[in-house]
Amino acid sequence: MYILKNALKSITRNKLRNILIGIIVLIISISACVSLSIREAAQAAKEDTLSGLQVTGTISFNRQKAMEEMKKSSSSSSSSKSSSSSTKTDRSKFDFDVLQGSSLSLSDYKKYAKALKSGDSYYYSGAVSLNATGKILPYGTSEDDDSSLSSSSSKSSSNSNSGNMQPPGDNNNNNSNTQNNQDGMGHQPFQVNQGDFSITGYSSYKAMLSMFGDDGSYKITKGKMFDETSDALECIISNELATYNSLKVGDTIKLANPNYEKETYKLKIVGIYKNSDSSSEENNRFQMNDPANNIYMNYNAFTKIIKASAKANHKMTDSDGNKTSAKLTENLAFTYTFKSVDNYNSFAKKVYTLGLSDDYTVNSNDLQQYENSLLPLQTLSQTAIWFFIIVLAVGGVILITLNIFNLRERKYEVGVLTAIGMKKAKVALQFVTEIFIVTFIALIIGTSVGAAVSVPATNTLLANQIQSSQSTGNNVKENFGFKSDDNNGTPPDNNGGPMGKMFGQSKAQNYVDSVNSATNLFVVMELVLVGLFLTIIASLAALISIMRYEPLKILSNRS
Amino acid sequence: MSILKLENISYHYDRSKVMVLDKLNMDFDEGKIYTIVGKSGAGKTTLLSVLSSLAAPTDGKIFLNDRDITKIDRYKFRSKYVGVIFQSFNLLTHLTALENVILSMDISGKKFNRPKKEIALELLRKVGLDEEEAKRRVLKLSGGQQQRVAIARALSYDPDIILADEPTGNLDGETQDEIIGIFRMLADEGKCVIIVTHSPDVAKASDITYELKKPDKAS
Repeated sequence: MYILKNALKSITRNKLRNILIGIIVLIISISACVSLSIREAAQAAKEDTLSGLQVTGTISFNRQKAMEEMKKSSSSSSSSKSSSSSTKTDRSKFDFDVLQGSSLSLSDYKKYAKALKSGDSYYYSGAVSLNATGKILPYGTSEDDDSSLSSSSSKSSSNSNSGNMQPPGDNNNNNSNTQNNQDGMGHQPFQVNQGDFSITGYSSYKAMLSMFGDDGSYKITKGKMFDETSDALECIISNELATYNSLKVGDTIKLANPNYEKETYKLKIVGIYKNSDSSSEENNRFQMNDPANNIYMNYNAFTKIIKASAKANHKMTDSDGNKTSAKLTENLAFTYTFKSVDNYNSFAKKVYTLGLSDDYTVNSNDLQQYENSLLPLQTLSQTAIWFFIIVLAVGGVILITLNIFNLRERKYEVGVLTAIGMKKAKVALQFVTEIFIVTFIALIIGTSVGAAVSVPATNTLLANQIQSSQSTGNNVKENFGFKSDDNNGTPPDNNGGPMGKMFGQSKAQNYVDSVNSATNLFVVMELVLVGLFLTIIASLAALISIMRYEPLKILSNRS
Repeated sequence: MSILKLENISYHYDRSKVMVLDKLNMDFDEGKIYTIVGKSGAGKTTLLSVLSSLAAPTDGKIFLNDRDITKIDRYKFRSKYVGVIFQSFNLLTHLTALENVILSMDISGKKFNRPKKEIALELLRKVGLDEEEAKRRVLKLSGGQQQRVAIARALSYDPDIILADEPTGNLDGETQDEIIGIFRMLADEGKCVIIVTHSPDVAKASDITYELKKPDKAS
C-alpha cells in the first residue's frame, strides 16, 4: 500500500517529468487509437458487407493463360518463320483452336452447378443477333428518321448520332459487339455476320431482374412481361423501337438469320418496355448495339429459335469461298448465385473436382467490385498500422531514454530506500507503478480524444485516399485489364457488351467512402495492451538498473 | 548474552585484496553505548557497513541474539533489527522529516498499536523537533536538525541496535552534547548503541570503546 502512496507522491512531486512522459504517451495513444480504429473500421466494413453479400459468379475461359501457352508452343516451333507471319498464324490459330473450343455448354454449366450449396442457385441467358427483315427497321439506322422520333426519345438523339456514324443501311457493321454478353462470359470467337437486333432469352424472371438491376430504370409501359415458362415465341421490345416502327402490343415482327436471310423467325410482341437510363449510358458507348434494339424473351422460346436454326442447317459461303454452316450460334451467359462469400469460395474450389479444366477460372465481378470498393479503406488501414508501429517504436525509444535519465536522477533515492531495508523488487515496483499510472492516465485521455477524432479523421484520410486512388487511376482500372488513362469505360470482355452497359455494371467504381463507428471495445482492449507494452518498455531500464544497484556503492559514491 | 557478536570478522575489497578488517572479535550488549574509534582508513565505516549488513564480511560470522545473521534476509535485518544513522544522514530530501520517519516505519512492515504519524511526531519531538519542523522538507532543515531526523528514523521501528556513523561530525559542540544525550537516553531504555567516531568527547561518553587499527599486511 505504501508503495502506491509513495508512487503517487512521487508523481505529483516530479510534475514536469511526468507531464513530459504523459504527453509522449498521449501522442502514442491518440495515434494508436486512430490507427487501430481505422483498421477496425476497415475490417468491420468488410465483414458487415461480406456477411450479407449475395455473390454472383461465373466460369470463364482463362484467355491470358491460353494465349501464353499458345505463344510458348509456337515460339519453340516457329523460330524460323518471320515474326509477323507467325504472329498472324498464332492469332488465327488461337481464335479457332482455343476460343472456339472454349465455350461451355448449358449442360456443362448445369453439371458444375452440383458444386453449389443449399441456398445457392443459378440462372442463365442466351443471346443471338438477328437481322431486320420485312417492314421492321432497327432503331437509329437512318439520318432521315430523326424527325420521326417521338418526344419520349429526346434522350435518344444521341442514339441516332451513334447510328449515323455507320454508313446508313450498312446494318451488318453496325453492331460488332452485339453478342458479347453482360457477364463477360460470352465470347465472340469467330467471324459470324452480326445482326441488327440483339435477342436475349432469359431462363427466369430472376435472371432478368438480376441483370436489369433494382434501380427501377426498366419498366413495362405497355402490354405485359413474357411468360416465364412458356415456349411461345413472345418478346418484349423497347419503346424507342416500337415508336420507330409504329409497333404495338400484339404485333408480330419478322427477323432473319444474318448469315442466311431466308431463315426467318416471327416473334409476337407481348410488351413494350422503357429504359429510363438508356440515354445516360450513351456517352460511354462505343461500337455496340443500341440498347433500343434489344429484344428480350424467355429462354425456352429463345432456344426454340436456336434449335430450329440448327435443324435447318443452311450453308453459307465465307470470304475464302468455303461453305460453312449458317446456323445461329447462341451466346450463353450462365451465372451462379451464392448465398454467401463462403459458398462462393467453396464452389470455386469444388467445381474443379467435378471435372472443370484448369483453363477455366471461376470469378465474381460483384465480389471483385466490392473488394475494389474497399481498396482505399484497406490501403489506409495498412498505412495506419505502419504509422502506428513507427509511432510506437519511436515513442518507446523516447520513453526508455527519458526513464534512463529519470533513474539516474533518482539513483540516490534508490540507494537510500534499499539502505533502510526496502527490497529492490519493491523499489522497482514503486517505479513501475509510477510509470503505469502516468501511462494509463495519458492513455485514457488519448483514447477518449482518439475515439472522438477517429471517425472524422478516418473519413478525411479516406477521402484523400480515394482522391489519390482516382487521380492516379491505379489499382481498380488495372485490375480490370486496361490502361489507367482509358476513361472510355470498360473493356469489351469484362462488364462489356450492351447489356453490361445497360444494367449499370460498368459504372465508375463506388468506393467505401465513410465509416460510422471506429473505436470499439476491441480497440480499447488493444490500447490497454499498448499501455502495458509502453509501461514495460519504459520500466525495463528502471528494473534492470535497480536490480544492479548496490546501496552501499550508491551512498559511498555520493559521500 | 550479547545481542550482537562478531567472530573473526575479516573484510577486504574484491579488487584490491587489501585487508580492511582482520579477524575482529567483538561483543555488544543491550543498554550500553559502544564507540568504535580509530584513525582514518582503519575500517570504521566498513565495520559499520558489515554490522548493518550493507556489506557481507569476507570471513567470520556475526550473531544476532546467537543467530547467524547470514540466515536473515539482509533487507529484513536492516529494516527491523538495526537502526542505522548514516554519516551523511541519507534522508530523502524531497520528503518532509515526518514522511522520512513514516516511510521507514512502512518499510519495516511492523505493526504498530498507534497511528504511525503519531508515533513519528512523538519520536521527532523526543529528538528535539517540533511539529512545524517535522512537516518541513528535509532540505530546509539545518545539519543538526537533519541529524535528529536521521536518529528519529533509525528509532522509528523500535530496533534493538542503533548504529551511528560519526553522528556528531557535522555538529557544533552544543548540538553534539544534545545528540550524545539522546544516545544515552536510548541506552538507558535498553538499546545497544554502537557509534563510530573520531570524537574523543563521544568516546569518553560511551560505556565501552573499541579501537580499530589498520591491519599490518595484505592477505
